[in-house]
Amino acid sequence: MSKPSEDTLIAERPVGASRYDTVRLSHGSGGKLTLELIEELFVATFSNEPLKELTDAAILHNPGGRIAFATDSHTVKPAFFPGGDIGRLAVAGTVNDLAVMGATPLYMSAAFLLEEGYDMDELARVVRSMKVTADEAGVSIVAGDTKVLERGHGDGIFINTTGIGFLPDDVQMGVAFVRPGDKVLVNGTLGDHGIAVMSRREGLDLAVDLTSDVAPLNGLIAAVRAVAPNVRFMRDVTRGGLAAVANEVVHRQAFGLRVFDVAVPVNEIVEEYSEMLGIDPLLAANEGKVMMIVAPDEAEAALGAMKAHPFGREAAIIGDIVVKPEGVALVETAYGSRRVLEMPIEEQLPRIC
Amino acid sequence: MPEVRATRDPQAPFEPHTYKDPSLVADLQRRIGELALEIGRPVKLMHICGTHEHEMGRYALRDLLPTSVDVLAGPGCPVCVCDNEYINMAIQLSLRPNTILTSFGDMLAVPGSIPLEGERRGDVRMSLLDARARGGDVRAVYSVFDAKRIAEQNPDKQVVFFSVGFETTVVAVAAMLKRGVPDNLSVIEANYYTPPATRLLPTLDGFDIEGFILPGHAVTITGLRVYEELPALGIACASGGFEPVDVLASVASLLEQVRDGAPTVSNPYQRLVKYDGNERAKAELDEVFELAPIRWRGIAEIPFSGYKLRESYWHASAARRFAGQLDEVALRGAEHPKGCRCAEVTLGQIRPDECGVFGTLCTPDSPYGPCMVSHEGTCRAWYTYGMHKEQLRVETV
Repeated sequence: MSKPSEDTLIAERPVGASRYDTVRLSHGSGGKLTLELIEELFVATFSNEPLKELTDAAILHNPGGRIAFATDSHTVKPAFFPGGDIGRLAVAGTVNDLAVMGATPLYMSAAFLLEEGYDMDELARVVRSMKVTADEAGVSIVAGDTKVLERGHGDGIFINTTGIGFLPDDVQMGVAFVRPGDKVLVNGTLGDHGIAVMSRREGLDLAVDLTSDVAPLNGLIAAVRAVAPNVRFMRDVTRGGLAAVANEVVHRQAFGLRVFDVAVPVNEIVEEYSEMLGIDPLLAANEGKVMMIVAPDEAEAALGAMKAHPFGREAAIIGDIVVKPEGVALVETAYGSRRVLEMPIEEQLPRIC
Repeated sequence: MPEVRATRDPQAPFEPHTYKDPSLVADLQRRIGELALEIGRPVKLMHICGTHEHEMGRYALRDLLPTSVDVLAGPGCPVCVCDNEYINMAIQLSLRPNTILTSFGDMLAVPGSIPLEGERRGDVRMSLLDARARGGDVRAVYSVFDAKRIAEQNPDKQVVFFSVGFETTVVAVAAMLKRGVPDNLSVIEANYYTPPATRLLPTLDGFDIEGFILPGHAVTITGLRVYEELPALGIACASGGFEPVDVLASVASLLEQVRDGAPTVSNPYQRLVKYDGNERAKAELDEVFELAPIRWRGIAEIPFSGYKLRESYWHASAARRFAGQLDEVALRGAEHPKGCRCAEVTLGQIRPDECGVFGTLCTPDSPYGPCMVSHEGTCRAWYTYGMHKEQLRVETV
């Protein structure tokens, strides 16, 4: 369950497709080069039976229950960032979308939009990172597509992943099940991904020793649900941070969500840089965090299960569901004063002073 | 986070967490309550820094004050006081061929006075973001040195840095210009010097503020001496840092002065602020810039309140370099769009929620006036932290 190290990804010479150093338009034209790329890179790396068939559609086994179905397109600058890369992000993002619904993710498709001239070794690194992450999550990448965009018409690499998970009929979760008195949990420090990526983005070299939290959370979620079967609601905390998720939960509901400022886990480096840049960690992006709303009598058990998992060691109960104010997410400060936790409006950018 | 705070020594100097310490905040809250009782009447104070308003909101510090003590936001948001003329100039330059306009991100969404053609939301004016959407090369930078780098990388283009800010930001511009910049770089001089504005405020009708929390960052540069005239006008002054303990310490110091009827210039933020400021920074500023009249958006033209390049640095002035190439008529225009009360908000004459368009026509995702755009803006801070909402009373099960 540990994160793959960069070394294992780099060390291995990419499988196949090595006749070319860079992606050619022909790699997306459906001809010989396309087949070569698919067989030597994608099929060889993702390596599973349905994919090997190279049929027009993957035929999958249905273990029963309802189907959960999610898609997400990924673009990130830079494509490789401290603690992860676009490949890990693309797999973990869709896995997490399925897992927070209570589904067990099993299958995934991957569609690549590559810019002509994209480095073949870098593509191989991305693909291997996807494989490592998929294995970690227990999903198979069983279908795919590649298109190549003319140089100047893309930004290196875009990846779309679509995932299928299975959801037993008795799983009942959603905002409708949330009750005042419920506890709000997160599985660790907030804002790591946002600050880590910002630190490496062109023009803002902070030299921060900080890694993104990008990770597939289905294992952690399953562990929590085993001990806290009445989890009311879950959502992965991504762009917009906790503020966005908290506001989505209370929107037009007859309850409020209160976050205790001092209970929110924030990495010390994130805290310092947030202060310096005028960014609120509650609004910063995450890629390996889930917010759970749990019945009060199951909160401690859920917290324990999170903390026992590698992706939840710094988990915390950060707040609760309150009767009033209705429809509002609010922060209670260390001093007992209160403010609104507003829905984020734009990407977080450093301020003038 | 709570663990981190608890394990740090609250006595340790220069430790940022000290200035967030809940027990110190509680002590100051008590002290302020006692002072308010001793004064026995309402007191209005004002801060003059957007960051103060931001921190007031973030920590909901007004919640901690007695109802008789009000802290208003004054003209402390550089984005909000930046005159139309400079925004319009930046927009025009960004649309000039072979020109790159660099600016702090905060400025990009601020409307100037050039009408936005084809806009149906009402009296909407063009911002740099609108200019970018129309093909202007507008780039957000984090520092003036980023602008210099862009100029070095694009020797065949003109690179303009939109230099907006108070004392603090202009120091970096002075330092850069003094060390030399590529020929293709120029700056729009929209830098503001606070003290003259603070002396103008007491002359306005209905002014009833009894004390100023002085902007901590700016007085780190200028020192406190430049505010010596204010106590003579009956206004208490205290330097103000930005952590909750700092802000409340400034409030307490001002209330002491009010209670004693003895206004002075106190320095609760003494861990950074010296009475004479930062001599080296002041010397560099003085070498590159001189004080000249400048218009504060919606307020007035205030003498000696703008930093303008000295003659020996005119080569780097965008206004001079592109003089004659700009549409002079378009540079001027109505200060604020119809119905916008940013000017009164900036002067602390009304609360943001007393403006008719606040939160309805004017929101952060569709700002009407400058105070709703910048994170430093009073309206933006009020909207973001819900300061316009009734005190957030919580009921639990």
